[in-house]
Amino acid sequence: MADFQTSTHKAKWIFSPQELVEKYKAANQRAIQTLDKYGTTQMEVDADGSLSYPESIARDNADKHPRPKPLNIEEEQFMRVFYENKLREVCSAFYFPNKIQATALIYFKRFYLQWSVMEHQPKHIMLTCVYAACKIEENHVSAEELGKGISQDHQMILNYEMIVYQSLEFDLIVYAPYRSVEGFVNDMEEYCGAKDEENLILKDLQETARMEVDKIMLTDAPHLFPPGQLALAALRSANEKHRVLNFEGYLKSILTRQNLEHTISQLIESLNSIDTWVSKYKFPTEKDMKHINRKLKSCWGHSSHDDSKKREKKRHKSHKSSNEIQN
Amino acid sequence: MRCNNSTETMGDGNNTSGRGIAANNTTSSSNSEKPEWLHQYNLLGKIGEGTYGLVFLARIKSPTNRGKCIAIKKFKQSKDGDGVSPTAIREIMLLREISHENVVKLVNVHINHADMSLYLAFDYAEYDLYEIIRHHRDKVTHAINQYTVKSLLWQLLNGLNYLHSNWIIHRDLKPSNILVMGDGDEQGVVKIADFGLARIYQAPLKPLSENGVVVTIWYRAPELLLGAKHYTSAVDMWAVGCIFAELLTLKPLFQGAEAKSTPNPFQLDQLDKIFKILGHPTLEKWPTLVNLPHWQSDMQHIQAHKYDNAGLHSFVHLSAKSPAFDLLSKMLEYDPQKRITAAQALEHEYFRIEPLPGRNALVPSQHGEKIVNYPTRPVDQNTDFEGTTSIQPSQPVSSGNAVAGNMGGAHSGRNGSVNRPVPPPPMQRMPQGMMAYNFPSQAGVGGGMNPGGMPMQRNLAAQPHQQQQLRRKDPGMGMTGYPPQQKSRRL
Repeated sequence: MADFQTSTHKAKWIFSPQELVEKYKAANQRAIQTLDKYGTTQMEVDADGSLSYPESIARDNADKHPRPKPLNIEEEQFMRVFYENKLREVCSAFYFPNKIQATALIYFKRFYLQWSVMEHQPKHIMLTCVYAACKIEENHVSAEELGKGISQDHQMILNYEMIVYQSLEFDLIVYAPYRSVEGFVNDMEEYCGAKDEENLILKDLQETARMEVDKIMLTDAPHLFPPGQLALAALRSANEKHRVLNFEGYLKSILTRQNLEHTISQLIESLNSIDTWVSKYKFPTEKDMKHINRKLKSCWGHSSHDDSKKREKKRHKSHKSSNEIQN
Repeated sequence: MRCNNSTETMGDGNNTSGRGIAANNTTSSSNSEKPEWLHQYNLLGKIGEGTYGLVFLARIKSPTNRGKCIAIKKFKQSKDGDGVSPTAIREIMLLREISHENVVKLVNVHINHADMSLYLAFDYAEYDLYEIIRHHRDKVTHAINQYTVKSLLWQLLNGLNYLHSNWIIHRDLKPSNILVMGDGDEQGVVKIADFGLARIYQAPLKPLSENGVVVTIWYRAPELLLGAKHYTSAVDMWAVGCIFAELLTLKPLFQGAEAKSTPNPFQLDQLDKIFKILGHPTLEKWPTLVNLPHWQSDMQHIQAHKYDNAGLHSFVHLSAKSPAFDLLSKMLEYDPQKRITAAQALEHEYFRIEPLPGRNALVPSQHGEKIVNYPTRPVDQNTDFEGTTSIQPSQPVSSGNAVAGNMGGAHSGRNGSVNRPVPPPPMQRMPQGMMAYNFPSQAGVGGGMNPGGMPMQRNLAAQPHQQQQLRRKDPGMGMTGYPPQQKSRRL
């Protein structure tokens, strides 16, 4: 829907930084409590789509082995970041339109505002979000096809689908900043009264801005700012490279033309803050991931030696295949 | 069957039903196979059936909302292995974003995890244009009074203008999808329903045939019949024109015989019916006609000019110079680019002359005309929730448990037929079955709306719902947007 102003996205899914921290904290705390109570954090999804906890890990075992240590908030963040990147790889492996990738990514991010990564395996959720985004954007791909393409069990996707919709509160129309970038660039053409030559520079600007948006989308900024501001931050960064126009002058012109209540300083403050999110973005190292995955496995109660080995192997395989995709 | 809720306010059911669900959830017994959420309703019967699934009428049991009626739309399960029904998901997704007095209101979504089916609960509207038109044609044998026709049309356009300005095309407007509220605060208010085929326009729209759905061809715009690939909001305006004519004459305007041979056959007869009444389209009047596939190929010689004289005015018994006819002919303009838009139609002179349109389309306030008691949409009481005939006919009001029990039985009985692996013996199974998802309208900016309706969250679920009650708007506020009656009366 074109009207962001009346959307559920604006009304329900843009938070203050405090609210966001609270949400992550709450999910993390809940998972930790569950771990205390049941000895495991992972919710089981049955074939009929209902959720349940596995049986408590037998107590006598608990005496011999130390209690599994839960992930902290930073580690959860790393886990999400890792799978957000994976999500992109999956989408490009299938040559999905950019829109699907963007929608799936927003679904994934919103899902983990509601849940801890300790509660639902991000790999499954990531795939289910891609599947759901395809359905919503009318680019239907069967779960089987999707699962096959990346050698994963597609039944998992189907089991999780409804839980994903529910966790998204059925707010499935989402606004990614890519369209806003296009819109602003069109507007800039008029604003600059651009001729052919300048139009070419604007195309370069747009391309760079698109890549900036890619970066922004992997941060928490999409939970904090409306897509229009995300797009402007991306365009401003791109403009620093291409030097197409006086950006502050352009911002001022938008504000006056649209009669918005924002002041220019407020707007610039938002854009600065978005830039900060991008600059402090951290991708986990291999070592980080190893550590986190080990912790997660113990949280999920996959402590048996053989089992974890098998899983490790599988994981390596999937790493490899996705790397190949990239190359 | 009449669902009498004269003491209730329509349109605010969200609050109390939310509380009811939360209460249900906390007290649920884990070994019960009955769908949890059904306990809050008395099922009255089936009121509709379509390619999408079934619609049931139910009454809310909770004391605070006693007697309030809800229409529950059950979507057919999609193909096995295809997950949640895309039609259902799309309808929910659109309805979540829109809110307008003349658009049906989604009150609740219930989920049956056993077969991944969705149940959408709407405020119940007792009438629809199909039944109103039929009643006049078959029972009272006189035309629908002018005030009612104009009010229905105005409200339909008002809702459609809202949708179009939000970039939504309905794509399946027809009398049975235009509902009218019964007794209560919103009596006589039009509600556009059934968004299963509705789309946002920027998205590339696939032809209807690719979605595998069958829709009535009588209200289909000529550009679509001629094979246009792109939908525009003008297709909805064509349908409104057809509905307007039908309200005037009580007969479908273009009653073509549907060709059903192939998945998306060329509807020659439908076009012929249109041409007969409106005259043959010409490239002069409709320049882009030449680009339309079926016109171009001329397989069945549709270019052959059979009809000259447009006989629309005599067909609808209107003077060719009357404002009503002027509006109608602008809606039935061949060229979609020239066809009147909903926004323009609302400004048309027809709505500025007496009788002026009003909010209660069924009861003209000052005309002293006889009020027609319309039959409500028929309720088939011999149908249970799975769409099969039940042994025990459902009973109204007091015997709620019997109904719910009956439905629960039907539900548990289908486990065997569901083509999914039987779940392993439950370990620490959370109370399962059907879970309710109650919508906050715009609530929950940071309101702790965690996985609503998730079993583990049950006892917390009440909080957001209470919160949202405070935010709910007074349903009586929706009067804005009507033509300035006082002012135009003076003119």
